[in-house]
Amino acid sequence: MRQLLPFIVVGLASGAVYGLAGVGLVLTYRTSGVFNFAHGAVASAGAFAFFELHEQHGLAWPLAALFVVGVFGPLMGIILELVGRRLAEVGPGLRVVATVGLLLAISGMATIIYGAQTRGLPQFLPTRTFRLFDVNVGYDQVILVAVGLVVTVLLSAMLRKARIGLAMRAVVDDPALLELTGLEAPTVRRAAWMIGSALAAGSGLLLAPLIGLDPLLLTLLVVQAFGAAALGRFRNLGLTFAGGLGIGVLAAVSQRYVADYPSLGGFPSSLPFIVLFVVLLASRPGSLFDIAEVRRRAATPLSPLPAAWRNALLAVGAVAVVFLPSIVGVRIQVYISGAAYVMVFLSLGLLVKTSGQVSLCHAAFVATGAATFSHLRVDAGLPWFLALLGAGLLAVPVGAFVAIPAIRLSGVYLALATFGFGVLMERMVYRTFLLFGSEGTRLAPRPDFIFNGESERVYFYVAVAFAVVAAVAVRRLQRARLGRLLEALSDSPKALTSLGASVTTALVLLFCGSAFLAGIAGALLASGSRTAGPSGLGAFQSLLWLGVIAIAGSRVISSSVIAAVLLAIVPIYLPAGWRDYQPVAFGLAALAVALLSGRVDWVGKLRNALAGNDRAQRSPLRGRRLDPGWGDAMTRKALTRDGVLPLGARRPEVAG
Amino acid sequence: MTITAATPKPGLLVEGLRVAFGGLVAVDGLNLEAPVGRITGLIGPNGAGKSTMFDSCSGFNRPSAGRVSFAGIDLTGAPPVRRAHVGIGRTFQRIELFDSLTVRTNVAMGREARFAGRSPLTQLWARRSEKVEVAEATDEALALCGLEDIAEERAGSLSTGQRRLVELARALCGGHELLLLDEPSSGLDPHESKEFGRLLRLAVEKWGSGILVVEHDMSLIAAVCDYVYVLDFGRLIFEGTAAEVLSSDTVRIAYLGTEPIPEVDA
Repeated sequence: MRQLLPFIVVGLASGAVYGLAGVGLVLTYRTSGVFNFAHGAVASAGAFAFFELHEQHGLAWPLAALFVVGVFGPLMGIILELVGRRLAEVGPGLRVVATVGLLLAISGMATIIYGAQTRGLPQFLPTRTFRLFDVNVGYDQVILVAVGLVVTVLLSAMLRKARIGLAMRAVVDDPALLELTGLEAPTVRRAAWMIGSALAAGSGLLLAPLIGLDPLLLTLLVVQAFGAAALGRFRNLGLTFAGGLGIGVLAAVSQRYVADYPSLGGFPSSLPFIVLFVVLLASRPGSLFDIAEVRRRAATPLSPLPAAWRNALLAVGAVAVVFLPSIVGVRIQVYISGAAYVMVFLSLGLLVKTSGQVSLCHAAFVATGAATFSHLRVDAGLPWFLALLGAGLLAVPVGAFVAIPAIRLSGVYLALATFGFGVLMERMVYRTFLLFGSEGTRLAPRPDFIFNGESERVYFYVAVAFAVVAAVAVRRLQRARLGRLLEALSDSPKALTSLGASVTTALVLLFCGSAFLAGIAGALLASGSRTAGPSGLGAFQSLLWLGVIAIAGSRVISSSVIAAVLLAIVPIYLPAGWRDYQPVAFGLAALAVALLSGRVDWVGKLRNALAGNDRAQRSPLRGRRLDPGWGDAMTRKALTRDGVLPLGARRPEVAG
Repeated sequence: MTITAATPKPGLLVEGLRVAFGGLVAVDGLNLEAPVGRITGLIGPNGAGKSTMFDSCSGFNRPSAGRVSFAGIDLTGAPPVRRAHVGIGRTFQRIELFDSLTVRTNVAMGREARFAGRSPLTQLWARRSEKVEVAEATDEALALCGLEDIAEERAGSLSTGQRRLVELARALCGGHELLLLDEPSSGLDPHESKEFGRLLRLAVEKWGSGILVVEHDMSLIAAVCDYVYVLDFGRLIFEGTAAEVLSSDTVRIAYLGTEPIPEVDA
């Protein structure tokens, strides 16, 4: 125990910062209903702002810290409130896309300005120590814990006692009702966002001296806050802070134990994600539901592309594919991976677009496929095609595993669980013998069976053929019964269950199918580059993919092709300096798509225009009334009976 | 439709049902029967436990005591999907439609979901015979509810009255032997609600389905129900025909919260 004390002290200090970040996250989530995935990115922006002022321009640290927490954070909060306001109208999936887009944009900008390497940031707090129970305790550590405690207590008190605090608790239940009491809902939300972002920025600058300044690491590490927030059940500030402390201590203590086992090196840093994943999975079904009901607009109806246009497009595509290898020369490599990415996006689109699920661990499926292919082809000596098939099949259990959170959770909680899973896979499994091994990369030979895959031209055709088969399969699936069930599922799982179709079965099928496609895509990708490795398949990549597919339109197949072109092919035709901006561009574009959802569905618009169809513009109320007056009376009745609920009264989900 | 008005069946049987949420007992010691081929009403003031009892019947909550069975099959702990297969369909107080799908697809899903069930194979593909059956049942349900004209509209763009009808049509399309309707007239005006009542009677006469309906609208209850149960604070306070219920003092007290006007008769 005595030996553990120093670790506990270190853990409490960093845990206090995690807790602080978690408290800010919970505060903004509870008041706006928007779970801010960019919370960590705000923290990292705060840390860099502090670095700029304090280290680069020599501003004294208290002033710099005051500026970051008192000006920079609240300013970010004002912007975030504007974003959050627009997001009130979109579904949970797009909300995730929006804040993930913001994350990509902020961390991408930080990488461009400060580079991807980690910089040290000297501890600016006093580091003198004193002895307590035979342990050296630093003043900085005491300060961290004290700051965290004081802020949490003050905020909790404010939410319970102060007028603005009560308003913050009320605003998520019924903004309109709150406004009747004379407080504007946006004002209240803005206040919450300003406080939340100030806390994020503050936790960023407090954390940076402990772990270094690294745009990516800081963005993901404040994700510890997610774990803390989960322990606080995404609502209780005190529990959230305590959860942060607990995570910090556990991570520090486990550091001591895993020192003897190098293979477990990833454990301490992934602990918060394990906590997050376990808490989400262990929670009673239905106890975590997305707060803030979505005021949903009916989606714009899409008319199918006219057959003539579709055939013409297909013909042009086919001709292009045939002649591409002759035209693009050595760049054919890029087109090969492009074809594999079409499959990746088909598998992601199946989840995101047909059934409204969210996956932030898709790279883990692809990585599983890539590594398995290499194992089967190189180690087990299976023929190329069988190894490819095996790669797909072995990704299926991983998909089935991710279906477990999908069955129990929805919306933002599913996104969090899958993100946690993706990070876990990257930190704890990628470098083990199961996947890529400690060396990091494995061989992934080209096919030499029937056709000569060593030829770039032939392999390109093979990859395209796979993508086409996958596209046809996805299309068949959409039109089969499962496709209809999944569409229904995305609207109302409850109704589907009550009608007699098992939602569990449908989700397991969906995730297994998606993982199978992703696994094969991973094998194709690996075989294309002749190596299977974790680079380009990290947890962060899953975020980028979600952003890309969000901006590529709403139809699964066309958006997969567009997304693959945007991600893999467009960059090589851009000047070298522009490529760094890719995550920023995708992030901002994804944010824009989410904010303008339905209004800038350019692929859909184009389709409707081509079809000469103006259905989208027509009023959704043009349905013939069954009887005149059917509806007006209903509105009056609903207003008097259902509309006015006492403040704080929640409409229960299933009860009456 | 495969279900016909054959000999009266035992239908839904609820015995000694008790549901508690934490310390709050929502339903306590409830006994109720809803036979197939009849319309049974369940009324009571807000918070009396009506929807809770519904959720117990369709498997959305877990009773702490008591037994729910249908046609002699014990369903107390069964998941919602199994109940649908045994023959219980339901609608929701807050309408649950597939908003992005058309009215026709919504209604068709009533039958298709039953075919899909729990097996991966039946969920993946529809057999040809099933497709035919789904199409027939859909047309029939659409026609019965007068929804043919708006069959290609998206459910999300309809008015509440129309949405109630779509939800009913979807439940009817499932060919269930018993339908649980949770406040079907809420959001409807008196005229619509009357139409709705006519429709319910028609469904029972035509297909012999049983219906258990939770309602606030006493005129609808009086018009359609063969038998009525009255619930207050989770307990059954009265049962009888609609006429008996309407003239009952006990029921009036429960609804109005006051003693009856003193001494009409001893």
